[in-house]
Amino acid sequence: MSEPVLSVRRLSKRYGEGAPILRDVSLDFEAGEFTAILGLSGAGKSTFLRCLNRLVEPSGGEILVPSTLLDRQGGQIDVGKFGSRDLRLWRRKVGMIFQQFNLVKRLTVLENVLSGSLGYAPGVPSMLRFFSAEDKRRALRALDRVGLLPFAYQRADSVSGGQQQRVAIARALMQRPAVILADEPVASLDPKLSLAILDLLRKVGQEDGITVLVSLHVLDLAKRFSGRCIGFAGGEVVFDGSPEGLDEIAVRRIYQARTEELKAYPIPT
Amino acid sequence: MSTLDKTAELVLPTPPRRAPKVWALVALLGLILAWAFVGTGFDPVALVQGVPKMIDMASRSWPASYSLVVDPSAYQFPHRLTLEQLLLPVPLHGDLAYVKTAWWQNTWPNTLLGGTLQTIQMAVAGTVLAAIIAFPISFLAARNTSPDRSVYMAVKSVNNFLRSIPDFAIGLVLISAIGLGAFTGVMALTFGTATVLIKLFAEAIEGVDPGVVEAVQATGANRLQVYSFAVVPQIVPSFISFVIYRFESNIRAATVLGLIGAGGIGELMTSYFRMFQYQEAAMTVIVLIVLVMIVDFTSARLRKLVI
Repeated sequence: MSEPVLSVRRLSKRYGEGAPILRDVSLDFEAGEFTAILGLSGAGKSTFLRCLNRLVEPSGGEILVPSTLLDRQGGQIDVGKFGSRDLRLWRRKVGMIFQQFNLVKRLTVLENVLSGSLGYAPGVPSMLRFFSAEDKRRALRALDRVGLLPFAYQRADSVSGGQQQRVAIARALMQRPAVILADEPVASLDPKLSLAILDLLRKVGQEDGITVLVSLHVLDLAKRFSGRCIGFAGGEVVFDGSPEGLDEIAVRRIYQARTEELKAYPIPT
Repeated sequence: MSTLDKTAELVLPTPPRRAPKVWALVALLGLILAWAFVGTGFDPVALVQGVPKMIDMASRSWPASYSLVVDPSAYQFPHRLTLEQLLLPVPLHGDLAYVKTAWWQNTWPNTLLGGTLQTIQMAVAGTVLAAIIAFPISFLAARNTSPDRSVYMAVKSVNNFLRSIPDFAIGLVLISAIGLGAFTGVMALTFGTATVLIKLFAEAIEGVDPGVVEAVQATGANRLQVYSFAVVPQIVPSFISFVIYRFESNIRAATVLGLIGAGGIGELMTSYFRMFQYQEAAMTVIVLIVLVMIVDFTSARLRKLVI
């Protein structure tokens, strides 16, 4: 077995004296793995993903990654101990996709994709939105991969929701990512677009060997796309295995507080 | 019978009684109004008695002295220079060059047209300078972009303090420090406008979509890159709209500053009033009204263009 891209050890998060959002989560992720993260709202899925690139500061535990990802020698290093410079080097290897797409609406589609290269680009020119010809070529290629090349010079808010999410994927690809974290990427899209977006995420993950973590609340989509499912409930991992292993008991454990509702609205299989 | 008609089993909530509160409030308002009128010596008799004087002044202002604008003699063109030599940048020697400079520096700003243009120049210079100063500082004064909470608190409270100083007071201080003139007016406008723009800009920055900021941060961008990609594009329309709005009010403010001797059309207006030249003063007021109307109209157009 190869060395994991991400080794999460006893990760925890709580705000002040409030109830913990994450309790001692330990998980390993292999290179190129496509994992669905399931759970109710508030189960800790989103917090878990955001801890991995420290958009949320973990309260405890370790996130170990190979130092080669930061172009360093040596074994694994802990993301939690990174200073601001190392954190930026790590973040540029981690693409992130959001439920609300989070594109810069007033910039063009192409400029939004180019923002994915900010972690690599020299400071002052990129601040003035000047990018190298090579960066522009890569951005256009990324747009071509998600099928949006003709829209490159349109304003980002002039394209549809599904297209905006494709732009967000192109932005993530621009980062030459080792990992893509997708936080409810299809929750704002209709069922047909949801399939297309998840299919695209799986495809780019396979082609580029990117580890993809997708949080979803639709069980059916998780079963259909992922090689591995992880269930969160109350900030803990309550299921970790193949989609075939998601039997009724496992599903109840993930959606624990809602067993009655599960009976009322059975999940189609 | 629909479900809405079955009200019998409802436990109705008691509506709040607010009548006594309303009466207390009305009484309080009446007291405050009485206090304000007594304190300012409300005197309708004096107002009525003043009417003949007002009519007298109005009649002496009539007709407004249009010649101040249309009559070439109002501009006191130096007879030794041709109009071409005076208005175009042609090379001149010795005496003639001196006459030309003297006209532009001393005579032109004291003509009605020259004074009006100077007021516009003051407003443009003061507003643009203030916007350039306010832009970087506003990032320190916004909660979400300030590098540190203490920096945010410090910049914000210093700015709040400076903003509470009236423009007029700043103008008086600057006049005693750097003397009379339009430059003093520009500095006073810059100061007053920058403090207001910092507050408005900072509020616009605090209103940006945090999701976009998060997304750009997640690419590994540094702080300044995040500002330029996630924050600036979101605030540009409101920034421009604030600057145009301030330009509009600075045209008025520049006029008021002229009253205390800081150049422009306001200075002309006071001197005409002081010398009882009511027809000339009336013409100044007319030009001012036209100027404000033109500025209001164009800035409304400009703002529509931006948003």
